Amino acid sequence: MANKSVWRDNRFWQRSAGWVTGVAAVLLMWLTFDTIPQITMGTDADLEKGVTKRVPGPTVINYKITYEMDKKRHHEIPVIGGANAEGTSSFQEKEKFFGRDDWTEEEAAEMLHLGKLGSQTKNCMNCHTILGNGAYYAPDLTKAWLDPAWGPEGSMQAMTGKDTKEEAMAEFLQFPSQYPTHARMMPNLGITAEEAKGLVTFLKHMSSIDTNGFPRNFGKIQGAVHGK
Amino acid sequence: MANSYLTSESKRLATWYFTFAAIIFGAQLLFGLVAATQYVMPSFLFEVVDFSVARMIHINALIVWMVFAMFGSVYWLLPDETGIETVGIGLGKLLFWAFAAAIVVVVLVYLFIQVGPADETSIWFIHEGREYIEAPRWADFAIVVVVLGFISNLYLTGMKGNRSGIVTVLMADMIAFAGIYLAGMFFTDNVSVDQFWWWWVIHLWVEATWEVFVGSLAAYGLITMIGAHRKVVEMWLWIEVAMLFGSGILGMGHHYFWIGTPEYWWEIGALFSALEPLPLVAMFIHVLYDWGKMQGEEDAKGKEHSVITNKPAFTWFILNAFGNFLGAGIWGFFHTLPQVNLYTHGTQFTSAHGHLAFFGAYATILIGMMYLGVQGKNGIKVMNHTKSSIWATCMIFGGVLGMTMALTVAGYADFIISRAQWGATWEGYFAGQGGIWYAQGMGWRLIMGVITFTGFLFLVKDLLSTGKAANHVR
Amino acid sequence: MNAMFEPFVDVVPSFFGTLAQGPLTLTIFLHALIVLPMIWIYKQEKARLEQEG
Repeated sequence: MANKSVWRDNRFWQRSAGWVTGVAAVLLMWLTFDTIPQITMGTDADLEKGVTKRVPGPTVINYKITYEMDKKRHHEIPVIGGANAEGTSSFQEKEKFFGRDDWTEEEAAEMLHLGKLGSQTKNCMNCHTILGNGAYYAPDLTKAWLDPAWGPEGSMQAMTGKDTKEEAMAEFLQFPSQYPTHARMMPNLGITAEEAKGLVTFLKHMSSIDTNGFPRNFGKIQGAVHGK
Repeated sequence: MANSYLTSESKRLATWYFTFAAIIFGAQLLFGLVAATQYVMPSFLFEVVDFSVARMIHINALIVWMVFAMFGSVYWLLPDETGIETVGIGLGKLLFWAFAAAIVVVVLVYLFIQVGPADETSIWFIHEGREYIEAPRWADFAIVVVVLGFISNLYLTGMKGNRSGIVTVLMADMIAFAGIYLAGMFFTDNVSVDQFWWWWVIHLWVEATWEVFVGSLAAYGLITMIGAHRKVVEMWLWIEVAMLFGSGILGMGHHYFWIGTPEYWWEIGALFSALEPLPLVAMFIHVLYDWGKMQGEEDAKGKEHSVITNKPAFTWFILNAFGNFLGAGIWGFFHTLPQVNLYTHGTQFTSAHGHLAFFGAYATILIGMMYLGVQGKNGIKVMNHTKSSIWATCMIFGGVLGMTMALTVAGYADFIISRAQWGATWEGYFAGQGGIWYAQGMGWRLIMGVITFTGFLFLVKDLLSTGKAANHVR
Repeated sequence: MNAMFEPFVDVVPSFFGTLAQGPLTLTIFLHALIVLPMIWIYKQEKARLEQEG
């Protein structure tokens, strides 16, 4: 049988399919074992010792967080507690969050837990995007904590009449339809004061996650504002 | 089930699944229209059925009707492939009712309770708030039980009867399909870990196991509808499995660019997912080539009739080959590279891709399977198009294509203005939403959505009435 | 010589991070791992077909 080719032999393709699928699956599992420890949440001790984690511990809420261009990685990274000489987190500068900058690990973890639960039960991601995933009916929340609109000179903080970013955000979350910013409004989701505090914790924590430079130029562009 | 020509219990059960799937398909389109209207008219049903609720039902109904139609398809093809009656039909019927009842309860809770307090009870009984797999935890367990029952029927039948290549692929595919769901059934405070596993479910479903499932259905369809040679079709199927899983499993990397996961995923995601369109091109060529080949063989014998025994179903299978390639392949490739995705991630561009990909890759072929069901139930030898089936096909396919175009245009405004020019802030987001392309895109999307829904009405009419039409060969 | 290798800038050093020396090194390595052993399957199947023939 001279014209029997392996290329049109079903057994060859069946075995190849099995091999390719098996190896790809094994590689994915191996990569998972490598990735999961890297994205496991850090601890308060890490922050104190100045260890940079891709996902810092909940007590990151005691620190000032900014989003700065990294010279080596050529994209923005979250900078926690002010920058050091290399432009990365120095973990020095604290920032009051709901009046305190000494939230214990347990307290912070509890607030984050409530906030993460709230982010799911209030269905945030079916209007907003979280880390860029979700629906596109409302702004991305990945770095919402760093949004200039909520800052001291921002329109949102002024509108709620609160003195700090976190209080302004919590106020808005509880009574969204009292503060319309656009024809498309956020509905009232029955968020309590405690839940709002948790949600703001969730947002501040999320802004400290190293997202490899997503979103690009967040809150940085001044000149192009009237460029449309 | 009176007046049925079906002698197989498995096929009868399949028609139940198809019927329920078609109803949920309608619900999907209806709530899609609500959400689309809210983009154009934000006060529409505000604080009654908010966008988040409409959208949750829209995408959950999508997943559910497809899973129902997929189960139906397996029950439909099993007796043909294995040569025996499916094992465990009684259990299959029981699970059908359990599954359908669970879905109805879940949807009613979504619609009338909507949100709960931030605690575990809400996660267990209202919804989990994780896009696509919002089903509350109790329903997760119910789904696992139902799927295990379904899988055991498939395995017992496959092991007892003749295990063709198609059945072998389905057996391997469905166990992975079910196992992956478990990755989405836990709660964590760490949003990066949460999304890491969440993508295991979503990505490994729609870009791996579901695609392989579609490959198997296409193979079955070619054999039954145009009499393609099994050896050739099954060889193609194995090549497709190799290419789909080879690119699709590690193509997962394109979801790990920005969620906190390490930098090396950029590389893995970029090339593996860039290759994902390859098997879809192959499927498209394969379906058209086989059709041409079989028709050519007939023509060469001097016969003038078509080799296709079910015209509407085959039309949907062809549209599947094309729509899969266009929606999943081309529209996916548009924004899969990290340098592009940095700006397009989480914009209407994604939504454009999502619409054409889910429709092109899955809705089309499953509608085709429904037509096979109607043909079998009415004992039709050669099933022809009717006026309604042509209207349905044109309006649904044209409507979804139109929505995709409109969303793509809106997506450009979204990512160029909001992301590239304004740096993705709150203010930048709404600047993007105010762009003229955006407003036009959303308007056209609504119009195209209405056309799609009208097409769906024609589809329902046709599925209910074509069995009695006079222009078929019986 | 230094310019021939990427400076390592990942947050956490890891095996896969080290393989990522440029825009394609890691992914080509993984692709090779998946595809190249098919040569071995090919040879086995060829031998089988020849034996059967």
